[in-house]
Amino acid sequence: MVLGNYKNCVSARAADPAVLSASQDGGIVTQLFAFALEEGIIDGAVVAGPGDEPYKPEPIVATTVAELMEARGTRYTICPNVAMIKEATRSYGLDKVGIVGTPCQIQAVRKAQLYPMGMRSVGDKIALAIGIFCMENFPYQGLETMVEDLCNVKMESAVKMDIGKGKFSVYTSRGAVSQIPLKLTHKFEQPGCHVCLDYVANLADVSTGSVGSPDGWSTVLTRTKKGETIWGKAIEAGYFETKPIEDVKPGLGLLTKLATEKITKNQKTLDERATFGVDKGLRNPYI
Amino acid sequence: MSKVVEISPTTRHEGHTKLTMQVDDSGVVTRGDWLSLTPVRGIEKLAIGKSMHQAPKISSRVCGICPIAHTLAGTEAMEASIGCIIPDDAYLLRVILQCANRVSSHALHNILSLPDMYIPGTDTHINPFTPEEPVRSVAQRIQKLREVGQTVGEIVGGEPIHPSNPRVGGMYKNISPRAQTKINDLVKEAIPLARDHMDFMISVFKDWDDRPMASVAGGKEVEKTEKFGFHDQGYMASDTLYGSSSLDLDQKWYPERWTEVRPWDWYQGELEVSLEDPDYPIGGTTPVGTKVWPAMEACTGVPLYDGAPIETGPRARLAMFRNYDRKGAMGLQIARQMEYMDCLYGMLDAVEALDTNGKVIADDIPQGDGTLGWAANEAPRGTDIHLTKVLNGKVQWYSLLVPTTWNFPTVSRALEGAPWQLTEVIMRAYDPCVSCATHMMVVDDSKKVVAQKLFQ
Repeated sequence: MVLGNYKNCVSARAADPAVLSASQDGGIVTQLFAFALEEGIIDGAVVAGPGDEPYKPEPIVATTVAELMEARGTRYTICPNVAMIKEATRSYGLDKVGIVGTPCQIQAVRKAQLYPMGMRSVGDKIALAIGIFCMENFPYQGLETMVEDLCNVKMESAVKMDIGKGKFSVYTSRGAVSQIPLKLTHKFEQPGCHVCLDYVANLADVSTGSVGSPDGWSTVLTRTKKGETIWGKAIEAGYFETKPIEDVKPGLGLLTKLATEKITKNQKTLDERATFGVDKGLRNPYI
Repeated sequence: MSKVVEISPTTRHEGHTKLTMQVDDSGVVTRGDWLSLTPVRGIEKLAIGKSMHQAPKISSRVCGICPIAHTLAGTEAMEASIGCIIPDDAYLLRVILQCANRVSSHALHNILSLPDMYIPGTDTHINPFTPEEPVRSVAQRIQKLREVGQTVGEIVGGEPIHPSNPRVGGMYKNISPRAQTKINDLVKEAIPLARDHMDFMISVFKDWDDRPMASVAGGKEVEKTEKFGFHDQGYMASDTLYGSSSLDLDQKWYPERWTEVRPWDWYQGELEVSLEDPDYPIGGTTPVGTKVWPAMEACTGVPLYDGAPIETGPRARLAMFRNYDRKGAMGLQIARQMEYMDCLYGMLDAVEALDTNGKVIADDIPQGDGTLGWAANEAPRGTDIHLTKVLNGKVQWYSLLVPTTWNFPTVSRALEGAPWQLTEVIMRAYDPCVSCATHMMVVDDSKKVVAQKLFQ
């Protein structure tokens, strides 16, 4: 169960080349929100929009496809999307809110729906929650150090960053690629990520990420009835190209392996917290 | 031979109060006291030294039915003290918030008042909880009006209960064009409902006024008296809809006319209950032999305007600005219903005038030099006045003069001449909000009395 409950899994990419032109992988999140927006399934979506500094995202409420396009691409640093879900139902006047987030952010959305502490009339307005796979995240200063000091690339020059095949890669606007082994990045990880037991956004309506599919494609898990219905409609409307996950390499095998590794490692960290001190431990949020 | 009867606690209003009355042989009140028993929370004292941004958020928590009044009056008192003029669009958002809250509050009060009333033309008391018609659809209409009020409050205020959007200098956020359209749609949906509802409520209150006999929520029927709930006190209001502040060129409230006395200068002294009705719904009145002492027990100050108690609230607004002249408890109830349409059209006008791209925060927010500033907000229950002195961004002095505080002594006077069994109907006509009224004073624990308010 390391991949959570899901109804269906495919490898997919957006049919719209404009979406793919600057998307991280298969453009699933952007394309699916664009479809949901055009179909009236959502009135807007909380996404990681551009911030004040390069590669520092800012949560925004996107109500147009143009705003969704601005949010394409992975920024390997923290973007507090959940901070905007209440505001989306307030001054933005949304009735059907979409939200994208890492596994922890989708957990927050679901918790707000079930236990709405200071989240009046938010729960029933969450219309589509898209989760992205996440191994770990970095504070902005950590990312800056990795890019500028270890990869020797100015943040302003970077056009894409990627973690895959054991490396952290930075691509520049002039075509250069700079890579460092992942083990050099470990000390910059956000410590809170080390107790996370969710790799593939188990609680989302639809989860997506790069692992398991070839470059330019994404692995997509449809999880809830809502997620399955919306995904089915989008396929029918020709918004995505898909392949059965069994037909692509490396497929679910690698995804399962990485998910198992993350959970095993972080469960160990959690267990160690119980005996962190002498005759005392650190808090465990899961118990 | 005068007897003393006491209804404690009173019900179907916000907060905790009692009615201590001297009655004649026929049960008619000759001297009545309506007083707050709500514990004093001391908002005014604990605000001292806190930032001008925090104090209005604290005073909002005075009351969850009319938090908008306290947030806006508090914020605008700070702005008046520091001399900060807010942008027009911020003002429009505040007006929408104000109107939305008043719709919601008046509709809520309908639920509290209806059980005393009858289905017109019958002798059946209205039970808002019954699944039977015609009451069911009235209850649903009330809930719809409240929903519209709360939803609009949520959009412009950030929250319908304890609005997060107002801040010193304006508002944190303007709303989106989509939200503007949504408010317009909601208000237009509510307008025909509110019109029908207002007509229904007015017919119910007029029907009650015309009856020779009545009871409280299914209790014993007693003969009503002429001039039920009449009083000879004056009215105080600062506007029909919104309010006034010391920044206005044409100020509608005058601090120099306000004085305040202690409860023991105003309320009755020590008494012993000598009349008891165990059948008073539900649970009877205070047992015979109980010692009561209103002057010591009251938890509010007694604010006076021109040296006398005044009435504030919907009737005061209509009487002062629209020549409304119906007196008595039902006159006040009817005035309240007449405010529905003003609120809805007020919201509509404001939302249409709003520029969603407009600035909502003042460019310059001064930190204050200790000048006295005040702001009056026409809360659902009347004029809510906050006075403050801000120095270097910190509150030096803060005072709240809340509608129900003004109304306490006036209601006490209005009880005279009414059969004691119907006095709760008079009190409820004022839509009391007792936690609002009881926010100040210093309690001397050792003597169990309310100590004198410390004046500057």
